[in-house]
Amino acid sequence: MPARKLYFESIRVGDELPALAKAPVDRVQLSRYAGASGDFNPVHVDEIYAKSVGMPSVYAPGMLVMGMLGQLISDWARGGQMRRYNVRFIKMVWPGDTVVCKGRVSNRHGTGGRYYVEIDLWAENQRGELVMKGSAQIQLFYSLEDENRQRSGQAPLVIEVPRESLAPPAPTTASSPASSPGDVPSASDEDDEDDEASDERRGGATSKKTAPREKPAAKTATLPSARKAKK
Amino acid sequence: MLDKNAIGRASPPTLNEVEKGAIRRFAEAIGDYNPIYYDEEYARASGYPTIIAPPTFPASFHSAADLRELLGVGIKSLLHAEQGFDYERPIFAGDRIYVSTRVADVSERQGMSGKMDIAVIEDEGRDEEGNLVFRARRTLVVRAAKETP
Repeated sequence: MPARKLYFESIRVGDELPALAKAPVDRVQLSRYAGASGDFNPVHVDEIYAKSVGMPSVYAPGMLVMGMLGQLISDWARGGQMRRYNVRFIKMVWPGDTVVCKGRVSNRHGTGGRYYVEIDLWAENQRGELVMKGSAQIQLFYSLEDENRQRSGQAPLVIEVPRESLAPPAPTTASSPASSPGDVPSASDEDDEDDEASDERRGGATSKKTAPREKPAAKTATLPSARKAKK
Repeated sequence: MLDKNAIGRASPPTLNEVEKGAIRRFAEAIGDYNPIYYDEEYARASGYPTIIAPPTFPASFHSAADLRELLGVGIKSLLHAEQGFDYERPIFAGDRIYVSTRVADVSERQGMSGKMDIAVIEDEGRDEEGNLVFRARRTLVVRAAKETP
């Protein structure tokens, strides 16, 4: 029996995805991932090699952590179709680390019978440090009725849903996590992956869409803004 | 500084056959036990023709690309800084996908410890009819083996 599905009509900007706490990463998992992905870079599987190049041990490939964050999305958005998924690797994940995946709906809109939500995503280790952040866009049916219509070959339900966005987080918490030595250099300087979206997000910010932020996340300090304070 | 002439250099498409066992092992390695990756019946009841692959599954695809050849330098180290995917549709068990790799950009950025060479590598997966299935973009911090004059 298929699980319950998620429909656009029930999603609100600011909704938090149920956090996903993964089992601690161990070296067996790193081997399995190497085998499954075909990436046998020895820094992920060969302890002696990793130490010889100055690492304290082997470490998880970024793509494994991206896969974990992907699980958060697909667990939540059952019945949805992932359209876009981007991440930035921030901190290395070591054997023994526990990755906790989190996300929040940052945007929703619908036009011409297609409905999209955008999600801000981030992953933390057991110390609450940000190890990865990113975003995803999911396309969903508006409702069960919409799904039934489309599956029987009828036209989709068309409801115009103007874009609603989270206000960009205030640039006060300067706890940008990408600053400890040894981290992946945050290649964030001027990354304009998605100008269109950011413009629209800014546009949305001027509307009254601050309401969903009333729920202060326990770890606001590590809440990644989709984009950093940008001038 | 990496050679700007590398931009646009591409590898020929390579066939990847998407096997159920490969999907299962990939999902298991992530620790993701969503039945949509394992159970044919469940997948059909969820509206798919068969089981689908996890979103990062294209990471397991092969392409004929050799980064050293594409970038035209020996590589001392690579750091994976960013990754992105665009999906036209889910990837299904049984799909035959042709993957090609191309240098989308090379540039130099000011990092925390001096200048860094950045390469953006784009993979493209197409089905046998030539329809786009996904695009993947890797942003790599490249340390070349030798300074090129």
